[in-house]
Amino acid sequence: MARCLIVDDSRIIRKVARRIVENLGYEVDEAADGAEALAYCAALMPTAVLLDWNMPVMDGLTFLRRLRADPDGAKVKVIFCSVENQPERIREALGAGADDYVMKPFDGDIITSKFAEVGLA
Amino acid sequence: MIDPVILERLREMVRGRTGQLLDSSRAHGIETRLGAVARREGFASLDALMSALPAQGVDSLGWRVIEALLPGDTEFFRHREQFALLKDQLLPALAKARGRVRLWSAGCATGQEAYSLAVTAAEAHAPGIEILATDISEQAVQKARSGLYTQFEVQRGLSARRVLEWFEKDGEMWRAEPQLRGAVRFERANLLDPPPAGPFDMILCRNVLGDMEPERRLRVLESLSGVLASDGVLITAPSEPILAPGAPFRLVAGRRGVFVKAAPAERQVA
Repeated sequence: MARCLIVDDSRIIRKVARRIVENLGYEVDEAADGAEALAYCAALMPTAVLLDWNMPVMDGLTFLRRLRADPDGAKVKVIFCSVENQPERIREALGAGADDYVMKPFDGDIITSKFAEVGLA
Repeated sequence: MIDPVILERLREMVRGRTGQLLDSSRAHGIETRLGAVARREGFASLDALMSALPAQGVDSLGWRVIEALLPGDTEFFRHREQFALLKDQLLPALAKARGRVRLWSAGCATGQEAYSLAVTAAEAHAPGIEILATDISEQAVQKARSGLYTQFEVQRGLSARRVLEWFEKDGEMWRAEPQLRGAVRFERANLLDPPPAGPFDMILCRNVLGDMEPERRLRVLESLSGVLASDGVLITAPSEPILAPGAPFRLVAGRRGVFVKAAPAERQVA
């Protein structure tokens, strides 16, 4: 089964997102910050990552740059998911290698639409 | 729970003026939607609103009620496989064959389909494409013309790249860029009335015909056929049932929701 890693420091967001992504047929794991997510990816590279921006220890952008620097991490579909909704911030995330970007708050339709957009659903 | 007598009256009003059948699944949430109309129009209750509606015919208040009852759910690039077909095959072929290509988005709701068409035409580098978009709801047409969408709306069907390329942030909303707004002409029109002047090379009428009563649907199909170029294409939603004996269209083999005009002999066997 395809695997999706949800990276967010909010337990509630992880819970809501998990329900949506599981409904799309993914096995879901969670990480609370970028460092935890990197350690996870080193052990088991997921198919997709739903990634928050502002987190303690390591933020989403730093995680993404490190992930993309790893040849195994280059193919993972990464969808940013953040309250940052300014065009320049979204451009920055896409420039760092995000496949798409969700502006919070989100709902099931938006996540489903984004997964389809990057060829995951 | 809405009074069954009121519900029946509303159903008849919608059916009479639009041909749309409001079955029980589509009747869901009617009270909430009508409650909003009642508040906006200054009525104390739903009953007061209903009493103000004319017993016969439909006035401007009646239209606002009808608009509130019709399904307005839509999204950008809905049925994305159809847009892929448009981008990769249909639009480039049409643009190459003709100097000027006319498209009609019939039943455009709040404009997402029409703007998706305009984005697709630009991405396909198909020049000379003119888009007319019409809807029965004046309110929907006004929103479509404004090109202003919530953050939720732009994220339904548009990638972040497309949002950044075709929209600008306007406070908490996102507004279609002038180039995109200028690519579509929006007008209010009822599909049961005479159609806009053709010919059109392609008509998109998606998620409209399927819930229409069969007689009216046939009438609308005749009217669409009348303004579609002889080699034009009609696109409906992929699984929308529109064919019946006498229908002036036939399905293109292997393409769900893509129709061309039927030869007279083909009409009887559909």
